[in-house]
Amino acid sequence: MKLKIASKILDANERIAQDNKRVFSSMGVYVINLMSSPGAGKTSLLEMTINELDGRLKVGVIEGDITGTDDAARINALGIPVVQINTGSACHLDANMINEVLGDLPLNDLDIVFIENVGNLVCPAEFNVGEDIKTMVLSLPEGDDKPLKYPLMFQESDVLIINKIDLKPFLGVSIEKIKSDALSLNPSIRIFEVSCKTGEGIDEWAKWLHSTLKA
Amino acid sequence: MHEASIADGLLRTAISVCRDNGFSRIEIVRIRIGRASGVMPESLLFAFDALKAETIASESSLVIEEVPVAGYCNTCKRDFTVSGSFILCCPYCSSNSFTVKSGRELDIIEVEVGEDEVKDCLKDT
Repeated sequence: MKLKIASKILDANERIAQDNKRVFSSMGVYVINLMSSPGAGKTSLLEMTINELDGRLKVGVIEGDITGTDDAARINALGIPVVQINTGSACHLDANMINEVLGDLPLNDLDIVFIENVGNLVCPAEFNVGEDIKTMVLSLPEGDDKPLKYPLMFQESDVLIINKIDLKPFLGVSIEKIKSDALSLNPSIRIFEVSCKTGEGIDEWAKWLHSTLKA
Repeated sequence: MHEASIADGLLRTAISVCRDNGFSRIEIVRIRIGRASGVMPESLLFAFDALKAETIASESSLVIEEVPVAGYCNTCKRDFTVSGSFILCCPYCSSNSFTVKSGRELDIIEVEVGEDEVKDCLKDT
């Protein structure tokens, strides 16, 4: 006998993601799902952004890592509320993992929560966690072929932050190619060029965050 | 990489639908996967076969229908299908203005179920 189902395989995740989103928005918190390859500079970007915002926006952070608490310690050192999720072996954060830590952040006192996903350019793109926008970081040493090699990540992201632009003189990498390929895959993607080493471009990204939250 | 968690979700859904309808055995699970969904059919089959053991789906097979990536060009107004996993531009006129129509599917379509055969060893005694 055939039983018709017609449901999305990721329905369960999607339902929890919607629940999370309702909780965040009822507290007036804007949520950014931050994704990249390992080592692209997600945590450094958070440190620079937190310093640049200098308390003008109240920030909270959820750190996702397979194991370890190094990233959470770096954020904690800045006096920012942070909760660490260890996924064990999972290559991405899912909505249920976020749901379980909602009570561990003082959401009522926050304007914005960054969810730093597990470093991985593939799987995190497929799991909504209850965010308002997805932001990805691509660092120049990864190469300018990445948009066409990992199209889903670029298609799903609302913002692309190109990091480590201070290394451009040492690399045969074209920022223009990264930008034009990313825009071909996703014409509405917003692109920032930054260096978390020199601080270049961080002000523009922070300014954009400000105006987005006010809107 | 996450095909195992997808296979797990798939099995849970299939098993609960089967039980909710009063059946005790799953024979076939049919799903639809778009080529732009990021899910590899081979990995999903492997994960499904590993996870189904010792469930009411232990004898079942997973049947995957792959859906190609298709779009509609807003410039030359034509429908098109691509062979890869994403659309970069319209294959007819190279326009970047297109609408993706399919390829992101990750759907369970149906489950074929049955009853376990009644053990009639007591009948003959």
